[in-house]
Amino acid sequence: MNNFEELQSDWKNQSKIEPTEQGFQNLLTALREIKNKQRVSNVILSITVIILIGFFFYISGYNNQQVILGISFMIGSLLVRMLLEIWSMRKLNKMNTLSNRADFRNELIGYYTDRKFVHFLWTPLILLTYVSGFLILLPLFKATLSTGFYTYIIVSSIMLLIFFSIFITKQIIQEMKKLERIQQG
Amino acid sequence: MNKIDNRYKQLYKAHYPKVMRLCLGYVAGDEDLAKDLSQEIFIKIWENLENFRSESNISTWIYRISVNTCLSKLRTKKKNSRTIGLVDVPDIIEEHSNADRENQLARLYACIKMLSETNRAIILLVLEGLPQHEISDIIGIKHDAIRTRIHRIKNQLTKCVSNE
Repeated sequence: MNNFEELQSDWKNQSKIEPTEQGFQNLLTALREIKNKQRVSNVILSITVIILIGFFFYISGYNNQQVILGISFMIGSLLVRMLLEIWSMRKLNKMNTLSNRADFRNELIGYYTDRKFVHFLWTPLILLTYVSGFLILLPLFKATLSTGFYTYIIVSSIMLLIFFSIFITKQIIQEMKKLERIQQG
Repeated sequence: MNKIDNRYKQLYKAHYPKVMRLCLGYVAGDEDLAKDLSQEIFIKIWENLENFRSESNISTWIYRISVNTCLSKLRTKKKNSRTIGLVDVPDIIEEHSNADRENQLARLYACIKMLSETNRAIILLVLEGLPQHEISDIIGIKHDAIRTRIHRIKNQLTKCVSNE
């Protein structure tokens, strides 16, 4: 039988875990990339919002209530989804890793419990709003586009919707499993 | 390199092995995953370095960040996992040879993987040789409770590795 001291000695004498200069340089690169990534995502988000607002005003110039409503539903739902994800990500990053594990665990449980509201309340609402916006615009597409392009828009939109639904479902399952494991202790 | 960069490099050199061992224990010996986790931990260390008060123990501070980061990066996917399971590891017949030591370590990883998340964090700190009061401080469980818990997990782990 192994005694615990023997296991401990094997544990401490593990090989291949010495720090290297390359490892440290990789770490510095990762730190720089994080800063750049934050800057790039802020720029992308700002440009997206400016384009969307510009597009919205451009469309409202036609004074077509149906277009405004359809576009607003689609853009609005995307914006809400983006903001919810950014809010969640910031909340997760701001968690206090310096607190003891029990407090940190409670904070994590709180975070994933909040995510349940996003997944089971906000996400269905957002999807519903997005699809409604699309359905409002469909008669206009049919009236103004060729049959081929109209069919392409319908098929690609359905495929995109299926793809995103699968992606979101997977994300929900993974996060709920995580919550379950954290709650188990 | 400025003063903080130098301090950071020294910290990295001095504490990388213990952080890496802890991560290896969390991901059942998968080196690539452990390296990613270690990097994540050292990023958190960098982000919090200015908040570190020198009156507390730097090791305890780093272990706190490490166990919390490992918990938040908990993996739920088992598919295509390169981690070690108990069935993958041959039984230990003779002791003290290098191959047997490797096998014993692999069994140890596999047995740690079977523990609950909190017990896993506790035993990894015990294996690192931390005193019980520090473990109690890091985990956030009272000293008396942690003492009995450590005793129980040690027995459980030793039996598991010995295949009893």
